[in-house]
Amino acid sequence: MKEDKIIEVKNIKKVCGDKTILDIERFEVLKNKFNFIIGGNGSGKTSLLNILSLVDQDYRGELYYKGQKLNKESQNLNLRRKFAVIWQDPYLYRGSVFYNIALPLKLRDISSSQIKIKVKEMAARLEIDELLEQSAHTLSGGEKQKISIARALITDPEILFVDEATTNLDEESIHFFNSHFADLVTDEMTVVMVSHDRRQIKELAEKITLLKGGEVEITKNINNFNFELFGAGIEAPIAELV
Amino acid sequence: MDYYTDAIFRALQLIISLDSEVIQVVTTSLKISISSTFIASIISMPLAVLIARNKFKTKKFINIILNTMLSLPTVVVGIFVYSIISRRGVLGELDLLFTPIGIIIGQVILIIPLITALIRNVIFSLDEKLYKTATSMGASRRQKFKLLISEARYGIIGAVIAGFGRVLGEIGVSMMLGGNIKGVTRTITTAMSLETNKGRFAFALALGIILLSLSFLINFVTYFLQEGKNYERR
Repeated sequence: MKEDKIIEVKNIKKVCGDKTILDIERFEVLKNKFNFIIGGNGSGKTSLLNILSLVDQDYRGELYYKGQKLNKESQNLNLRRKFAVIWQDPYLYRGSVFYNIALPLKLRDISSSQIKIKVKEMAARLEIDELLEQSAHTLSGGEKQKISIARALITDPEILFVDEATTNLDEESIHFFNSHFADLVTDEMTVVMVSHDRRQIKELAEKITLLKGGEVEITKNINNFNFELFGAGIEAPIAELV
Repeated sequence: MDYYTDAIFRALQLIISLDSEVIQVVTTSLKISISSTFIASIISMPLAVLIARNKFKTKKFINIILNTMLSLPTVVVGIFVYSIISRRGVLGELDLLFTPIGIIIGQVILIIPLITALIRNVIFSLDEKLYKTATSMGASRRQKFKLLISEARYGIIGAVIAGFGRVLGEIGVSMMLGGNIKGVTRTITTAMSLETNKGRFAFALALGIILLSLSFLINFVTYFLQEGKNYERR
């Protein structure tokens, strides 16, 4: 069966000074799937995620959304507002936790009564109700990441990008993330996830792409993650990475 | 010595009794300084964001010019604006010389580099993640600017207050472009200079005490704001 592509990139090249950070001939994001991007340090995972999420527009190449080629001008606000990103090291704005979670809705001019309902709902799902009135700068790393997850999910994005969300977290926070994340994502959501977490890959991955030196080394659609299914070519690097 | 003790006593009397002439000079000074600080801030804010956030060929050059202009002598600004607004100048027909607007123009030019450079530094020091996060949240260009200003607000207020302090205490621009006209362009500093020369030392001293108190207040507010920022971060 042919898989639905929601995003496709062709001949993407990102250069920083003399160094080529990313040089990808072809890459696809499958609709309503968990798309994993893995690779070692400096393999270009985050750079690719930045381009796919329209956060970085300083690159050469073609980007397609639902088959439509985007030029930089058409990577407009409306499209960006369909996406959300959970960063490895989240930035929280000056103000309360409530303010931070509500911010994406405020930017979309949602009424304050609606915002209140949605934020409370989301806070309950992530078990952060008690933090809502606290200043965002007083939180622990795990709490900050929960806030950033709530902030990303509150707009019910079409595509959710996750950039190594658990790398800097303690064991307890990683456990919370792994046990709750799949439930927080709706069936209609497409997820692009950069991760090193063996368990996340094993439990969630439906497509996996290995980057090496800014290039796609191996990419494969999978049903149930099984190292053996990948053969020796991919097993070794994945085993090494995860 | 008695002369000075007496002068201090009379100066305090002038302040406590809210002497109408003292009040008039202080009010004129505050009106002019607040106006010029306000206008300079409106111009400096987007200018600072532009310099701090954008890549362009002449950026290095502009930064050097900006840093050089931080120590711009007030009389140089005075003479420059004088050449523009005096009768023979380009804007001579507007009759701006020896008016409060004349002083405001000069003071705006004087503090734009200061406020711009200070805000630029504040924006430089902000975390790059702020912009990435704003973009990923779906902020428009305008919303990003607002978020940026909001995040940098303490630093921006500090920069504006520094600009206000500079114009409140300057004399070169006010003297050259204002002409020290009583009730119109006589500011605290120009009045102090004039009254000292006239021998009204107590009056000049009273204005000096007020100027010093205002400077203290400005620094106190700045310090308080900085502390507020630090407390919030803790």
